[in-house]
Amino acid sequence: MAEPSTAAQPAPTPQHAVVRHVVFFGRVLREGGLEVGPRRIADALRGLDAIDLGRQEDVYWTLRQTLVSRREDLETFDSAFHAWFLRVSVDAGLRPAGPPPPAVVRRKGGTPGPGPEVDGGEIELGAWSGNELLRTRDFAAMTAEEFARARVLIRQIAVGRPRRRTHRLRPDRRGSVIDVRGLVRASLATGGDPVVRAYRSRAHAPRKLVLILDISGSMEAYARALLLYLHAARGSGRGVETFAFGTRLTRLTTELGTRSADAALAAASRRVVDWSGGTRIGDSLKAYNDEWGRRALTRGAVVVVVSDGCDRGDPTLVETEMARLARQAFAVVWVNPLKGHPGYEPLTGGMRAASPHIDRLVSGHDLASLEALGTVLDGIERRHTA
Amino acid sequence: MMFASIDELDSALTGASYLADRGLATALYLSLELEKPLLLEGEAGVGKTEAAKAIAASLEAPLIRLQCYEGLDIAHAVYEWNYARQLLHIRAAQSGTVDEGELFAREFLIRRPVLEALESEERVVLLIDEIDRADEEFEAFLLEVLSDFQVTVPELGTIAARQRPYVILTSNRTRELHDALKRRCLYHWIDHPSVEREIQIVELRVPGVPERLAEEAARFAAELRSLDLQKPPGLAETIDWVRALSALGRQELDVENVEATLGMLLKYHEDLLAIRDETLAGLVAAARG
Repeated sequence: MAEPSTAAQPAPTPQHAVVRHVVFFGRVLREGGLEVGPRRIADALRGLDAIDLGRQEDVYWTLRQTLVSRREDLETFDSAFHAWFLRVSVDAGLRPAGPPPPAVVRRKGGTPGPGPEVDGGEIELGAWSGNELLRTRDFAAMTAEEFARARVLIRQIAVGRPRRRTHRLRPDRRGSVIDVRGLVRASLATGGDPVVRAYRSRAHAPRKLVLILDISGSMEAYARALLLYLHAARGSGRGVETFAFGTRLTRLTTELGTRSADAALAAASRRVVDWSGGTRIGDSLKAYNDEWGRRALTRGAVVVVVSDGCDRGDPTLVETEMARLARQAFAVVWVNPLKGHPGYEPLTGGMRAASPHIDRLVSGHDLASLEALGTVLDGIERRHTA
Repeated sequence: MMFASIDELDSALTGASYLADRGLATALYLSLELEKPLLLEGEAGVGKTEAAKAIAASLEAPLIRLQCYEGLDIAHAVYEWNYARQLLHIRAAQSGTVDEGELFAREFLIRRPVLEALESEERVVLLIDEIDRADEEFEAFLLEVLSDFQVTVPELGTIAARQRPYVILTSNRTRELHDALKRRCLYHWIDHPSVEREIQIVELRVPGVPERLAEEAARFAAELRSLDLQKPPGLAETIDWVRALSALGRQELDVENVEATLGMLLKYHEDLLAIRDETLAGLVAAARG
């Protein structure tokens, strides 16, 4: 393995300069949110060793291919490369996520801020009746103390997952496929007679789950509770993808992957730029379908859209994009906190346009309804073809 | 066979009828130099699989391909015991007893693509195609193969590669791959080619194509990609399409022919509905310049 430099060399050589440059560049990328470990740096140095450093294009590709591993990071890499190696000012439009802007999470009304937290551990056993009341209390009407208790419960609720049969086979005595490997082994004892039979059958695995949360102004009272639900669902196992949207779509799967709910929420709020602003459901669903649906994320998944359906955009776009979503998904569930209010009718333009493509509509305005959502997800069937 | 420089590798690829842009040529070169697997991602039809075939041809190395699918397991990817032979062997041993070591010997082993690549006498190119379709469990298993170039068969022990294979993985990004897997690979994202490049590729892949037709078709494909379609056409689609038009004896694009053959470029009903009448006429006019 070619080591680019030897430690004993005292004078600064071009080699040293390269090493220093690359190590520092790695640090720049890390600040931009890329995972650049020592292994990648070593690869980059070995790569640079193998090419002609005089060709800037080759240097670019070598660094990119060794330091980046996700398409989402290419833009960040490009601007960092331009800024660092080419010494041109970073174009404002191409600016990487870089050091994230200060978190702006606004809350009002019933959803408390990050202020005084009541430790979940302080709930006494006798508090059960209190929890019963809490279950049916609208998130929007909760006090700070109630919300602190509710968030502990949310974590316990978000475990319902749709399941599917996999193509993988697992040993199963009541299975229908003969396990020949097991059979041969067992036959050793009986001189080649397959006396003991081993079977295998198809296993069950959690079905893909995609959660898309509306965090626009009209959802503000519910956004924090529902984001906690998303975080809990994300922690329930593999194959869960989470998104948020107001006027634009943001993927939050990585941010919500942190175990601590507070850290996850903080990371998510840094990532989302359009908290409590307007809503463009149609455009956001389109962005989802274009970027993630095309990559077949939707195929075979249960998609849950959480929104009150109040939309400032074009309802026909909502209709088209919901149709696209529904065609690919295993089933579509819409969670609308407004549905919990007595006398609710789907009158908002976006909601009306979406309804023909929804398999199940649930409310999600309190703990009880989130529990119900879990039950719905647990037993959901393939969408009916109209 | 190795290449002294990126340029040398580039011209070898051209010799194998594959025009790679500088980025891909660099990626392949580094993968050979650093002996690291290369992960290729890109939209469907940009030539990920073709790249693996071309590098195998340029290296004059055999290509072993493992097509991934859901439920793919070790028995289909790496090795399997030949159970029928094993049972017969037990029967045939008249003396009565067969010990396990005898039964689980190499002669009863069926080699699947991964083991075949590791045990091959000469260097091979191992293509692990559409890895994103395989289950995550399988991905985890691949880690041993990709970092140490060895597999473990419980009954036999560890089998290490005689010659490290060149490994190329492709993914259509239907799901995110594990970081652990990515860390072991170089990464290259293949974009749609530029119009000029696409013309060159079409001319190389469709021998005897009228120059005008190749140009107009490439421009038309680029126009389609700039529109908001559910599935824009890939390079593979353009090549097939031009081949068909060329076989029909067309010298250039006209609205009628494009309309009749548009299904070769667009695979979604909505997309076909969106590109009609005036839109289509406008696109054809734009492509004809």
